[in-house]
Amino acid sequence: MASGLESYVNHTVSIITSDGRNFIGTLKGFDQTINIILDESHERVYSTTQGVEQVVLGLHIIRGDNVAIVGELDDEMDARLDLSAIRADPLSSIVH
Amino acid sequence: MSQQNAHGEPKERKKKESILDLSKYLEKNIRVKFAGGREAAGILKGYDPLLNLVLDNTTEYLRDPDDPYKLNQDTRMLGLVVCRGTSVVLICPVDGMESIQNPFIQQEG
Amino acid sequence: MLPLSLLRTAQNHPMLVELKNGETYNGHLVSCDSWMNINLREVICTSRDGDKFWRMPECYIRGSTIKYLRIPDEVIDMVKEDVQLKSRGRGEMKGRGQSQRGRGSGRGTFGRGGRGPAALGRGGSNQGGNKPQNKARTK
Repeated sequence: MASGLESYVNHTVSIITSDGRNFIGTLKGFDQTINIILDESHERVYSTTQGVEQVVLGLHIIRGDNVAIVGELDDEMDARLDLSAIRADPLSSIVH
Repeated sequence: MSQQNAHGEPKERKKKESILDLSKYLEKNIRVKFAGGREAAGILKGYDPLLNLVLDNTTEYLRDPDDPYKLNQDTRMLGLVVCRGTSVVLICPVDGMESIQNPFIQQEG
Repeated sequence: MLPLSLLRTAQNHPMLVELKNGETYNGHLVSCDSWMNINLREVICTSRDGDKFWRMPECYIRGSTIKYLRIPDEVIDMVKEDVQLKSRGRGEMKGRGQSQRGRGSGRGTFGRGGRGPAALGRGGSNQGGNKPQNKARTK
């Protein structure tokens, strides 16, 4: 496919949406408009005052309009992260 | 109203039906939310397949000046209006719509 | 798997829909179309701040205003058969030289962007049932 997402199918991906949120999950499918099926997903909520909070969400369809970045996640490397020690400002949303 | 052809047979698979049948809301009060945050309610007098609407006795629900998505209690009467379909975000019947307490709290407890 | 196939499979299941304006809608999916427009029933609407709640018997939401939909986990397992049926149907259409949807031909008809009749029958039980001779295609 022209979008290049084909190689990510059934892999763990990290998605940043235009409202500044970060979703992690298994890419199960997508279409021409980059609507995305994300399975076994969770959201990572970043904050400067505490570690990264992970919110379990499950199966998602994310509408392509809101998808800013899709990146493949290295499961092994990700597992080595100590999320409770990470402090970061939340991303702000995209201004249209 | 079901359409029939000259032989009195119902037309079959003539058209791809819209998933929204607005005819059931004709002469009924509907609530409409618009892109950008405006909200209104009025009696549906007419519509087209592009979701352009004609509403009568329309009330607009006014918003917090600082937050265009937050309603306050104020309303204003708009009377007879045409709503542009492309900006319609949501349609629901006013009948049966009610403000409620947080319904998710007891489920989690 | 296509997101809209998953959504179609999720009909009659509960789901949560978040709109771009931040409001969320919890309800059962009644119907959806190829623009992701949806009808929900027995809906609870939550305001953007999560401080106000409304109950509504049903509502129609324009697809383009959706941010995302949360769907029950089990629905993804129900799609699979559907997809297989579909690819069979598509192979069939190719053989008959009807690989394109009848998009744009529907001007003047009631529906928008009328799909050709081929698209309606695609993957449906009629076609699939009448033509079982389709072979497993190698790609």
